[in-house]
Amino acid sequence: MNEQSSMDVVRLSGDLDISRRAELTDALARAGAGRAVLIDLSDVPYADSTVIAELLRFRNEAQENGRRIALLIGNAQFARILQYAGLTAAFQVFDERGAALTYLAGTDPM
Amino acid sequence: MTGRSELRINRDTGDPATPKALRHALASFLAALRIETPLREDIIIAVGEAVANAVEHAYRTGDSGTVELHASTDAEDVLLVDVFDRGAFIDRELREGRGLGLRIVRAIARAVSIDTEGGTRIRMVFNTDPAAAQQKPAQPA
Repeated sequence: MNEQSSMDVVRLSGDLDISRRAELTDALARAGAGRAVLIDLSDVPYADSTVIAELLRFRNEAQENGRRIALLIGNAQFARILQYAGLTAAFQVFDERGAALTYLAGTDPM
Repeated sequence: MTGRSELRINRDTGDPATPKALRHALASFLAALRIETPLREDIIIAVGEAVANAVEHAYRTGDSGTVELHASTDAEDVLLVDVFDRGAFIDRELREGRGLGLRIVRAIARAVSIDTEGGTRIRMVFNTDPAAAQQKPAQPA
């Protein structure tokens, strides 16, 4: 997508752990420069803190650039690991795509 | 549970399949002990973080080694899991996001100890009685 696009989508599937950190970093780096990013993890049954750390870094950069991020998850594991990390409020997490897109399209404060 | 059950598995830290292989071996072990989700999933999350810590050195330096997972239960409603590798813990403590993994482990396990003699051994003790596990107080953010 180019800079005029309103939303970029980063989609990953399968277990995401330390062995796939480089792949995750690359996928996030390839996201375009749109004003919103949907990170689709709906087909990720397992993620570890490597993923959370990488997403935090990406979120911080996005916030500096005024970009909005939503995480779409497909099971409870990711929500639980965020809870255990004490980061429940760090991301906008959705389990329904429509709700995530509504958030990304919104104009309310991030 | 009755009697003693044990899982011991060694894997190459440089093999990208190692973290998943260890998680799956542990999942099968826990299923055989009739430890059900969500407790089973939580134990796998915690042990997965310890394994990630162990293989971190291999990913950062390219030096491959061995990570050992040892899980055992010989007391009712208590599971002991050790994750051991020969990498230096102090190096990994410094990496960005490093504290997240240990925070997660401590939020799930009843007790955690880290021994850095001759490598790094993360020892985790879990309640396997779901009711007792839920009584663990929430960790501060």
